[in-house]
Amino acid sequence: MKKVLDALKKYFADFFTSIRKGDIWTKLSLIIMGSGYIARKQIIKGILITAIEVFFFAFTLGFSLEYISKLNTLGTVQREEKLDLTTLTKTVNDYDNSLLILLCGVIGILFIVAFILLYISNIKKVYEVQVFAEKGKHINTFREDVKELVGSKFHITLLTLPSLGVIIMNIIPIIFMICIAFTNYDMDHQPPTYLFTWVGLDNFKNLFTSTSTITFGYAFVRILIWTLIWAFLATFTTYFGGILLAKFINDRKTKCKKLWRTLFVVTIAIPQFVTLLLVGKMFSDYGIVNSICNKIGLTAFLQDIGLVSRGLSYIPFLSKPGWIHVMVVLINIWVGVPYQMLSATGILMNIPEDQLESAKIDGATEMQIFWKITMPYMLFVTGPSLITAFIANINNFNVIYLLTNDYVTTNMKFANSNAKEADLLITWLFTLTNDYSNYKMASVIGICVFVICAVLTLISFSRMIAGNKEEEFQ
Amino acid sequence: MKRRIISMLLVATVASSLMAGCGASEQTQEETSQETGAETTESDSEADADNAVEEVSEAAEEVADTTETTESAGNAEAVENLIAATEDTVDLTLWCSETEAYQTVMAELVEDFKAQYPDIDFNITIGAESEANCKDDVLVDVEAAADLFVFPDDQLVDLVNAGALQSIDATFTYDPKTANAEATVDAASIDGTLYAYPLTASNGYFLFYNKDYLTEEDVASWDSLLAAAAEQGKTVGMEVSGAWFLYGFFAGAGLDMYLDDATGKNVCNWNATDTQYTGADVATAITEICKNEAMVNCVNEDAQAFALNGEMIADVNGTWATNAFMEAYGEGYAAVKLPTFTVNGDQVQMGSFAGYKFIGVNAYSQNPGWAMLLGEFLSNEDSQTKIAVATGEGPSNTVSASSEEIASAPALAALAEQSEYADLQRVGDNYWSPAATLGESIVEGNYTDAQTLLDDAVAGITQ
Amino acid sequence: MKKTVNMVIRHIFLAFLAFVWLIPIVWLLATSFSSYKGINTMHFFPTEWSLDNYMQLFFRPDTVANFPAWFRNSMIIGVFSCIISTMFVLMVAYSMSCMRFNGRKAVMSFAIILGMFPGVLSMIAVYFVMKLIGLSNSLVGLIVIYSAGSGLGYLICKGFFDTIPVSLRESAKLEGANELIIFSKIVIPLSKPIIVYTVINSFLAPWMDFVMAKLMIRSKDPGDWTVAMGLFNLVQRTLVGDYFSVFCAGGIIVAIPISVLFVVMQRFYVEGITGGAVKG
Repeated sequence: MKKVLDALKKYFADFFTSIRKGDIWTKLSLIIMGSGYIARKQIIKGILITAIEVFFFAFTLGFSLEYISKLNTLGTVQREEKLDLTTLTKTVNDYDNSLLILLCGVIGILFIVAFILLYISNIKKVYEVQVFAEKGKHINTFREDVKELVGSKFHITLLTLPSLGVIIMNIIPIIFMICIAFTNYDMDHQPPTYLFTWVGLDNFKNLFTSTSTITFGYAFVRILIWTLIWAFLATFTTYFGGILLAKFINDRKTKCKKLWRTLFVVTIAIPQFVTLLLVGKMFSDYGIVNSICNKIGLTAFLQDIGLVSRGLSYIPFLSKPGWIHVMVVLINIWVGVPYQMLSATGILMNIPEDQLESAKIDGATEMQIFWKITMPYMLFVTGPSLITAFIANINNFNVIYLLTNDYVTTNMKFANSNAKEADLLITWLFTLTNDYSNYKMASVIGICVFVICAVLTLISFSRMIAGNKEEEFQ
Repeated sequence: MKRRIISMLLVATVASSLMAGCGASEQTQEETSQETGAETTESDSEADADNAVEEVSEAAEEVADTTETTESAGNAEAVENLIAATEDTVDLTLWCSETEAYQTVMAELVEDFKAQYPDIDFNITIGAESEANCKDDVLVDVEAAADLFVFPDDQLVDLVNAGALQSIDATFTYDPKTANAEATVDAASIDGTLYAYPLTASNGYFLFYNKDYLTEEDVASWDSLLAAAAEQGKTVGMEVSGAWFLYGFFAGAGLDMYLDDATGKNVCNWNATDTQYTGADVATAITEICKNEAMVNCVNEDAQAFALNGEMIADVNGTWATNAFMEAYGEGYAAVKLPTFTVNGDQVQMGSFAGYKFIGVNAYSQNPGWAMLLGEFLSNEDSQTKIAVATGEGPSNTVSASSEEIASAPALAALAEQSEYADLQRVGDNYWSPAATLGESIVEGNYTDAQTLLDDAVAGITQ
Repeated sequence: MKKTVNMVIRHIFLAFLAFVWLIPIVWLLATSFSSYKGINTMHFFPTEWSLDNYMQLFFRPDTVANFPAWFRNSMIIGVFSCIISTMFVLMVAYSMSCMRFNGRKAVMSFAIILGMFPGVLSMIAVYFVMKLIGLSNSLVGLIVIYSAGSGLGYLICKGFFDTIPVSLRESAKLEGANELIIFSKIVIPLSKPIIVYTVINSFLAPWMDFVMAKLMIRSKDPGDWTVAMGLFNLVQRTLVGDYFSVFCAGGIIVAIPISVLFVVMQRFYVEGITGGAVKG
């Protein structure tokens, strides 16, 4: 913490020293950013920097300032239209669109922040150049600057475009959605016709209240628990299933290894949403599986032992709580094991042979070898990816959404908050936005998912990031 | 509150516009009502015309009579002005049902529309959109949505609340308020403002059955229907657990569920204990029906499959399934109003939702004038007849509905028969999940106390 | 003797597993040849076989299904987004693995955290950002969406680069090569497996995703859709009765390019996953 503060202090201290000690050109750079470079004959660089400055001011003054200034209210003028019935043309007032104000406001502010950072570092650079010039040191020509971009500063070249992509596709949308959680953007406040505005922490309060009609609290806790259980089960069943299958197929006693492997890999070739929709139809109340179960008397048997209630003429694979929970996990095994098998195959091949041999010579049984050598090795190798998989399963939209699409809950408290027993947080928030335009609650739930994932990752990854392991392998 | 102000503003606009447009409109007005009258007498003379059809026509006549004083169609001058003012290509998009039949007939109609205005360069694209998702798709980004879209009536409130619909302040070629059945106009209006052009009036449900197995007496009540089916080892289908269908039982027993426009919330007394039949009575009655081994609670697609393999001889369903059941039952194909069911020992006629489809004009359309004219054209009498013939859906236009070829279709006749007991589907979003949940519980019959079950459901529906 | 029994049991068990895994695939294949268009709920195999679904798919595009156009669109999106994302991933992975600069660790942690945010939620915001840029409702927009954020998925690739001996790069540097040359002439040729892995993954994304595509492509003309969008639409309630077997045929056709890719690349794919995961 102190480190960060010190770094910040130094950051600003440097900035002010640069201004204080800078000559006229450096000071002029406070206004025309490129002037310092131009004075030291770095003409192209100077022009480029100045061009950026001009562009920034044009963008901010010409476009984003209007939105930023309305950010505090998110707009006040509601849309009004009037159709002129004699000419059939329409006049619309100059209305505010809360969504655009928020979005463009966020973009505008990001631009300003980026510009300030650039501005500060620019002054420092200009001062540096001034010092170089005073000391008579060599100042890079433009050509040399470019050369540096494929040399020691190659990372800047490499990272510029991908970072830009991430900023547009991830950072801006995320900031925007986080903001939404503090507004009343829902069915009754839909832009562009209606305005939404800031409501502070109301939505968070909603999430944790439980009355007979506001049941978000009730549904949230249960869905959160199921999400975690699901993520755990889905990750570990496919993980161990995949390893066991790979082990089984790669065993010396198995013939035609390639054939077996291909048979399982075939299931990967068909896009996941196709197989999931298909399996969903197979297990529907009057689907093919139920027809067969009926014919062979399985349904009647299950009714006899009380697993299926008498009132049903089918096995409610995907239509009753409990059943559906088990089924999604099973179907997920079906979907996930081939992938896991594929990667486990590669890792198993890499296990140092000598270890296995010596263990065998020592008289270890196969079971012992598996648990004492193979598994620890696998865990060591795939540990990090296991955590990634866990996070991915928390956000496993496809499996749950496609399989529970037709599911209707019988629990009124779930129904009142548009949730289902088998929903994950992620599918719940999708239903909220897609079917009910309830963006405010969806954002709140999204933030919760984010916090949960981030905490889990930080705990497990902290060692990996903090540790200096990467060099060891190189 | 804001919404109310807006709607008041709109009402004011309408009123002023109507005054402006009075002169030229009367002629159109008269023509429409004359036509209606002529058609009615025709169908009268055709021996025993359907009771229901007659009633519908009569109702329409009444509407036509009263409207002269209150309403009027727009003026032709405006259209002239619009044509004169249009220089560039007019780009319009139309979203309608993705079925082949719909798309083809709409494409033909659009061509006809273009032919009406030979001087204008149109670029009209037709998109395939499943009507059930129309609202969701439009509301994601109304500015990018189609200029015109066909949608079922239950989405009207949400679309209006989001400001996505252009109110039909004036009309130019005919007056939808008089030409269409009163109920459909009501359904397309909120606070007296028309928000969309009525297109079809057949989004309801009734009973398909197979004459080869069931007699007309059999299909009169659930008891006899199920008994007859069980005797022959066949089944009867209905999506009892579906919120849309479930409504029929409660409505039939005289219980209420509707959206209160003023509060934006549902009003529901399904848990009432002081009515003639209490909610609990109805719930028990439904459970009794579902306990019958011949009863299958299944969705449309399953029902069609069962009908096709000969297992299911009757199903409560809607006009969209007409072709499937015709194919499945062949010669035995028949349709009739919903059966009665037993509550507390009495036979009670099942109610239903009467559903309509509308053509809405996007409030954010770049060409509102042309969009409105196209909307009008697509929903006029001729177009409605063509659409009905092509798709099997019943028209909302009274003249068109009473025409021989349409009124004689068994499905539409059954629908007309049922319409007496049908209610306008004007429900808030909060109805669907809780009601489906309620339906699921009632069908399973594993509740201990019907009253608590209903209390919970009502709390959810009215939240 | 006991050994033979063991062998038989082992293979029977494997055969049983393979059977379970293949049932849905066989059903998909069988249904795609069914002459009945809806879902056959009574029989596993169709009662009447026909090639009509495939004919319809390829030669009779209608108002709902326009498979040739879907296939073309998905192919375009797949190819371009896979080129761009692969480049992005390699670029980011190289900077993180082989370069040393200020704030590298911070950027890495930040990228990991960023990846946690549920993408489904920010979809609507992405849509409006694209609309601002004027790229909504277009193939270019979808390409941007699938590839722009791909830099975040650099982790596995970085793990792979970490295994490339540092001495290789050092010696190249001594001979006067700059980073660009090291990147393009030394590291990339050595990273075939991980490139294949990235290529496959980024090529497949547009074939699998229907949620994002449905939101982005506002056009209701089936000719503008992608395979995933179109096939998903075919099993919606109103259509499934008439198009289910066509949907199955579509699923089979899509599987062909993917399985070819897989069979050819399987070896690299496995190496890619494991190589990256080892030092993940």
